Amino acid sequence: MSDVLRVENLTVTVPSLEGAVPAVDDISFTIPTGTKVALVGESGSGKSLTAFSIMRLVDHPVKIQTGKIWLGDREISSLTDKEFRTIRGAEIAMIYQDPMSTLNPIMRVGRQIIESIQLYSDVSTKAARIRALELLNDVGILEPEKSLNSYPFEMSGGMLQRSVIAMALSGTPKLLIADEATTALDVTTQARVLDLVDKLAIERNLSVLLITHDLGVAAQFADEVMVMYDGRIVEKGSVHQIFTRPMHPYTRALLDSRCDDTVDYSQPIKSIPGQPPRPALRGDKCSFAARCSHVQENCLSSTPTLIDYGNTSAACFHSEKIISMSEVI
Amino acid sequence: MTFEALKQKKRMKVKLRGSASLILLLGTLAIFLLANVLSPYGPNDIGVGDHFAPPSGAHLFGTDNLGRDLLSRILFGGRITVLIALGATSIALILGSAWGILAGIRGGWIDEFLMRTADALMAVPLILFALFCISALGSSVASLILVAGILLSPSTARMARSAVKAELASPYVVSAVASGFSKVRLVWNEVMVNIAPQLLVQISINAASAVMLEATLSFVGFGLQPPNASLGTLILQGYAQIYNSIWFVLFPVITVMMTILVFNNYGEQLRLSLDSKRSSS
Repeated sequence: MSDVLRVENLTVTVPSLEGAVPAVDDISFTIPTGTKVALVGESGSGKSLTAFSIMRLVDHPVKIQTGKIWLGDREISSLTDKEFRTIRGAEIAMIYQDPMSTLNPIMRVGRQIIESIQLYSDVSTKAARIRALELLNDVGILEPEKSLNSYPFEMSGGMLQRSVIAMALSGTPKLLIADEATTALDVTTQARVLDLVDKLAIERNLSVLLITHDLGVAAQFADEVMVMYDGRIVEKGSVHQIFTRPMHPYTRALLDSRCDDTVDYSQPIKSIPGQPPRPALRGDKCSFAARCSHVQENCLSSTPTLIDYGNTSAACFHSEKIISMSEVI
Repeated sequence: MTFEALKQKKRMKVKLRGSASLILLLGTLAIFLLANVLSPYGPNDIGVGDHFAPPSGAHLFGTDNLGRDLLSRILFGGRITVLIALGATSIALILGSAWGILAGIRGGWIDEFLMRTADALMAVPLILFALFCISALGSSVASLILVAGILLSPSTARMARSAVKAELASPYVVSAVASGFSKVRLVWNEVMVNIAPQLLVQISINAASAVMLEATLSFVGFGLQPPNASLGTLILQGYAQIYNSIWFVLFPVITVMMTILVFNNYGEQLRLSLDSKRSSS
């Protein structure tokens, strides 16, 4: 199976008092066609920045330093801004954290959907309206006609996110980037929206890059998981592998610190000591070293890179030791 | 009373005040614009009454040094003042918003250049600058409109720029960029419609400032030349007689004050009602 998206050596810098620091540091990954990949990590790990860089939505002073991005067989990172506009929405669509503010507050939802349909295909408003109704129906909105004539403030968060998804689908994209798309929704709505995206992905052979800090969401939704820490991908692999036999101590620590119904609440919930390092002070060492319980000498003298272990890879010198620990329950 | 009912009451109050301020504004404009219908005498008719006659039934606001009816003069003067204010406001709106929107959208050195120019203009004392321009252009209605319009542009530009900046950073604009909309389309569809209310508020504030500016310029002698008069000119003429016929200066001053109040009040109510809409959505 070919890849819908391939990212190679993407580095994005943000300005700081110490000069431009790489908030996304030389990351590479692929999204195979038809798969759902979750990019997880804590706040500031660079996951949203990665998504925005793929869409080329970063603006001065944030800068994409290096990196090649392929969409299918086409290298999109070398396109001019004008050419790139034909990719946005039409090939890669994006949905965001807060559906309330993703739509123009003073324009009817229908008009916004119709407008984007007309952006991607040269059809009459009448035809676009019919298409908009179909799309709203597809995303499970019960009264499409009514929603079409509503303003964003008249709709609930779940309905809005569905409308935003309908809008994202209006260009029949190959890849959908969902940047924390369910974070602002309550848990039940969250599950329904994820089910919807799942269903649409299968129906339309759509690949999805889901960006989330919620491990539960990633486990439920994704086929593959990438764990980001301090601007780097520290581990990637199949969802089963990552959640049962993590090979990076950070992933392991994250899983150990979750609180769901499998956890023994008579014990205090584990937490990861310390703070993420400041990217400017990253230096030539493993950035997780200061918080890692398995730290050894070589962790402090060189930076580990992703080591391939077959169906998973991890950026740790001591992965064998981590994997030999008991399975995550 | 329940919380909901109180909230409703508050909302009604905001609405009522808003409508009242709009009616006041339109009423004021109508009174001045219909000066030729409403005024009992011609504004420049000499000797329709005694010199310096105090207010009476025949001359509600009294008469001036040449026996002209002050009420008529105020109505016609007000008309000119209001026309100058509207003209200046339009110039400020067009020039200022183009200025600010361009700065906000282009960013970079263009933004820097345009905004520093605005700062430089605002740093020059208003009256000094106006006097300089008027003495260069000569005092006529057109030059007053032009000068007041140019003077009000920088602040309008600043406001437009900040509104545009805020809009451009909003998630729905980012989302529209990510959907592949062109910049021109974005500016019209997303940015312009969303900053329109803020521009409207700025317009009414500008109108009030323009009335004030016109009155000030005329008062120092750079206004219309006799026999034509604007409100500022009337104040100037009345000021000379302040000790023997106080109404001669009092009525024009009150008129200027009321006009400014009406414009400002409308702007304020507009801002409030926009705020209450924002927060309730």
